[in-house]
Amino acid sequence: MSATQVTQPVNPLREGLSTRAIPEPCTIVIFGATGDLTHRKLVPALYNLAANGSLPPSVNVVGFARRDKTDEIFRQELEEAAQKYSRQKLKPELWESFASSIFYHRSEFDKPEGYEALAKRLDELDAQRGTRGNRLFYLSVAPDQFSVILEQLAQSGLNKAREGSWARVIVEKPFGVDLPTAVALNSMVEGAFSESDTYRIDHYLGKETAQNIMVLRFANSLFETMWNARHIDHVQITASEPLGVEGRAGYYDKSGAIRDMVQNHLLQLLCLTAMEPPMDLSADAIRDEKVKVLKSIRPIEGADVAKCVVRAQYSAGAVNGKRVPAYRDELNVPPESPTETYVALQVNIDNWRWAGVPFFVRVGKRLPKAATEIAIHFKSVPPVLFRNSADVLDDNVLVIRIQPDEGISLRMCAKKPGSSLRIEPVKMDFHYGTSFGKATPEAYERLLLDAMSGDATLFARRDEVEEAWKFIDAIRANWDGTDTDLAFYSAGSWGPTEADELIGRHGASWRRL
Amino acid sequence: MSEVALDFGLPVEIGRIDKELGRLWEDSGDTKTRASLINLAIYTESPDSMTENTEIIAAIAGEHACRALLILANPDASTDEAKAWINAHCFPAGKGDRQICSEQITFQLNGEAATALPNMVFSHLDSDLPLCVWWQSEFRDITDERLWQWVDRLIYDSQTWSNPAAQFERVLAISSSSDSGTRTTLCDLNWARLLSTRFALAQFFDNSVAIGLLEKIVRVRLEHAPGSRTTALLLLGWLASRLGWKFQPILGNAYFVSPTGTQIEVKLTEGEGACVGLCRLESNGAQIEFRREKNSEFFHATLRGENLPEISQVLSAGREKIVDILLTELSRGGRHPQYLEAYSAVSAWVHSPDEAK
Repeated sequence: MSATQVTQPVNPLREGLSTRAIPEPCTIVIFGATGDLTHRKLVPALYNLAANGSLPPSVNVVGFARRDKTDEIFRQELEEAAQKYSRQKLKPELWESFASSIFYHRSEFDKPEGYEALAKRLDELDAQRGTRGNRLFYLSVAPDQFSVILEQLAQSGLNKAREGSWARVIVEKPFGVDLPTAVALNSMVEGAFSESDTYRIDHYLGKETAQNIMVLRFANSLFETMWNARHIDHVQITASEPLGVEGRAGYYDKSGAIRDMVQNHLLQLLCLTAMEPPMDLSADAIRDEKVKVLKSIRPIEGADVAKCVVRAQYSAGAVNGKRVPAYRDELNVPPESPTETYVALQVNIDNWRWAGVPFFVRVGKRLPKAATEIAIHFKSVPPVLFRNSADVLDDNVLVIRIQPDEGISLRMCAKKPGSSLRIEPVKMDFHYGTSFGKATPEAYERLLLDAMSGDATLFARRDEVEEAWKFIDAIRANWDGTDTDLAFYSAGSWGPTEADELIGRHGASWRRL
Repeated sequence: MSEVALDFGLPVEIGRIDKELGRLWEDSGDTKTRASLINLAIYTESPDSMTENTEIIAAIAGEHACRALLILANPDASTDEAKAWINAHCFPAGKGDRQICSEQITFQLNGEAATALPNMVFSHLDSDLPLCVWWQSEFRDITDERLWQWVDRLIYDSQTWSNPAAQFERVLAISSSSDSGTRTTLCDLNWARLLSTRFALAQFFDNSVAIGLLEKIVRVRLEHAPGSRTTALLLLGWLASRLGWKFQPILGNAYFVSPTGTQIEVKLTEGEGACVGLCRLESNGAQIEFRREKNSEFFHATLRGENLPEISQVLSAGREKIVDILLTELSRGGRHPQYLEAYSAVSAWVHSPDEAK
C-alpha cells in the first residue's frame, strides 16, 4: 500500500503563488478511457485546467481500454469530444501541446501482461517527462470491473508508490448498491490502496455552491448563531429534474431515486447543512463532522418507513408542453417495475443542535423544472404584534440554490408602502452569475485538481459511504421489491399528494420552486 | 491640460447624483438589476484616457459588478470647476430580457476642485463595499492621507512610471503609514501582469528533471519589450527572493549571489517580443527557456541539456491587455506579500545610477 505523506522535492518558486494545495506532476491512468465520462468530462476538464494555467505541465494522461487504437487516433477522438464538450473553446496551439501528453494503452482489464506493459510505459514516461513516479488511477468503468482492475494493479505492484512518490485511485459512484456491496467494494479498494489514497467522487461536492455552504455558515456570524433548533423550524432539500430515464433505464430501474440520488448527493448536502464546525479545514476534520451527522440520523425502520418515506413513480403526463409516457412505458423498463422515480422523506437528526427539526428531502424525475436547493425555514415570530394585520406573516426562509442559477436568497417580511399596515414577503437575492460574472469551473476540474494535490476534502470517505448506506438500507428493507406502497404522480407535476401529506403533518408545505 | 469635450452619459449636478441614479433605475423598468460587489475609483490626469477607461469599466462590470467612479483631475487648471455625468453598463443575465447593470459616475475636477477628491470619492461610494482605487497618474509628494485610510486596494501600474525608484518609495510610504498600512493592499498591475509567467515558471520546475537545476543557475537572461523594464526587474526580483539570491554589482555588471555563494550573472535586454519575451535560466550544461511572442497567449517552454531528455511544452500565458490584467487582479484578491519581497530583492538595482537615468 502506498503512503500519502510523501516527501517530494520542494519547489521554492511555488511558495505563496496560490492559496490552494499544489497539484503535483503525475500520470493519470484512466481505465475505461473510451467511455463517455472520459470524453465528456475528464479530458475537457483537464484541457480547461491547462488553458487556465492550473494544470502542471508535467501531467500525462494514459487511457487504458480494450479497443485497439493508436495514441494518434485516441488523441483525435478526444479532440473532437473536447471541441464539443469543453467550456472553453479549443486553442489549437495549446491543444497540440496538451495532446502530446496523452497516450493510449490497449489491454484487457484482466490480463497481467497488460499491466506489466503499463508499468513499463509509465516508467518511460517518468523518465521522459519528469512526472516523479506519481500515479493517479481513475476507475471510469462499471463497478463490476473494479475488482479485476484493483487486483491486477496490486499484483503488478502499480498500487505501490516508490519512495518519494504517491499512487492514488479515484472511484466513481455508485459506491455499491447497498451496505454489504459497499463494504465489499471498499474492502476490495482497501486491498490495493489505503483509505488516504482513495478518492470517491461525488461531483455534487465539486459544485461551487456546495462548497459555499460552509463559507455561508461559518464565515458569517449572522447565520451560525441561528443555525439550530431554537430558531429553525425545518429544512427542505430538493433535487428535481424534468428529465426521465433518458436511455439509462437498465441502470436506473435497478437503482431508483433513493439509491441514485439520496444515498450520495442529497445526504452529502444534508451533512454540510447540519454538521458542526470542523476543527479546521483539513479533509478529515470536515469528514469527521459529516460522519457524526450521519451517525446521528434516526434510522427509519419498520412501521416508520410508511410514516416518514413516500416513494412514487411517474405516470404519463406533460413536461414543457410535451406529452411524455409513464415510467413503466419507457424503453427497457419492465411493465410492472416497482422502481421509485420520486422519493420524499423526513429525516430526523438526534443531536443537540437539531433535536425536533425535521429535514424534508425530496428528489424526483419528470418534475416541472430542474432545481437543486436547500431551504432553511426559520420559526415564526410570536403572534403578538401583528395579529390584527390582514396579512399572514410568512416565515423567513434562507435558500441555497445549488443548481441552476446558483445563489442564495432570503425571504423576509416588509411593510407595504401606504397608510395602512400591510405586510408582504420580499426576497433578498444573491446570484453567483450576477455578482461573479465569470463562468464557474466544472466540478470535475476542481475535483481532478484536488486529487492531484492530495486534498480529499471534497471526496467521500469510506465511513461516510457506509453510514449513508446503513440508513438507506433500513428503508429499502421495508419496500421488499413490491409496489404495494408505491404512489403515482403525473409526469410534470410536483409529485404525489402523499408527499404533501408527509410534510403537511409538520404544518408545512413544500416550497414552490 | 486642454479643454476637452466629454460625453460620458447624462450630465448631472454633483449634489443630485444619488437622486439621478435612482431615477435612472426607476426609468429602466423591471428588466434591469443594479449589482455591485466593489467600489472601483479610477483617478487619471490624462483626458485622452477617458474613453479607454470607460471601455475598461464596461468590460470589468461584466465580471465584477461595481460602482465605478471615473475621475479626471487637472489640479493645475486656471479655472475651478467640477462636473459630473452618470451612466450604466448593462449585460444580459442568462436567457431572456434580464440585464445586470453597474453604475458609472464620471467626474471632471479642475483647479481647486481637484483638491476635493477625497470628498468626491467618499460621498459617492456604495456603502459597506470594498474600495479599490486605480491611481493612473504618478504619485505626488503630498498625498491626502484621508483618502488612503479608506482604500482597501490601491491599484497602480509601475510599468508606466517615469521614475520607478521615486515612485516605489512613495508607494512604500503609503503602505507603511500607520493608518493605511494595515488596511491597504498594494496591487501593482505590473505584478499581476507577471502572474501567469510566475505560475508557468513555477509549474515547469515541478518537473523532476528541472527541479534539480534551480540551485545550479549561473546565468539569467531576460528580454523585455520597450517600456517594460520594471516588469522584467520585478520578475528578476521574484526569482531572487524565492531562491535567496542577493544583489551584488561587480565591476559595473549585474550579479546576484546564491545562498551557496555561486555568482549569477544577469542580463536584461530590450527586444521586440512580448512584455517579457524571453526568460532564459542557465546552469552549467542545461538551459531552460521561456519564450513568448508579442500578443501571444502562450509560452513556449523548453528544457535542454547534456544527458537530459529535451522537454518542450506550450503553456498558457494569459493576455497582455490592461483590462485583462485588471480583471486578473480583481479576481485574485488577497494580499501580495511576495510583491514587496520581490521589489526588495531588486530595489538596489532600481535605485542604481544606471537605472535612474
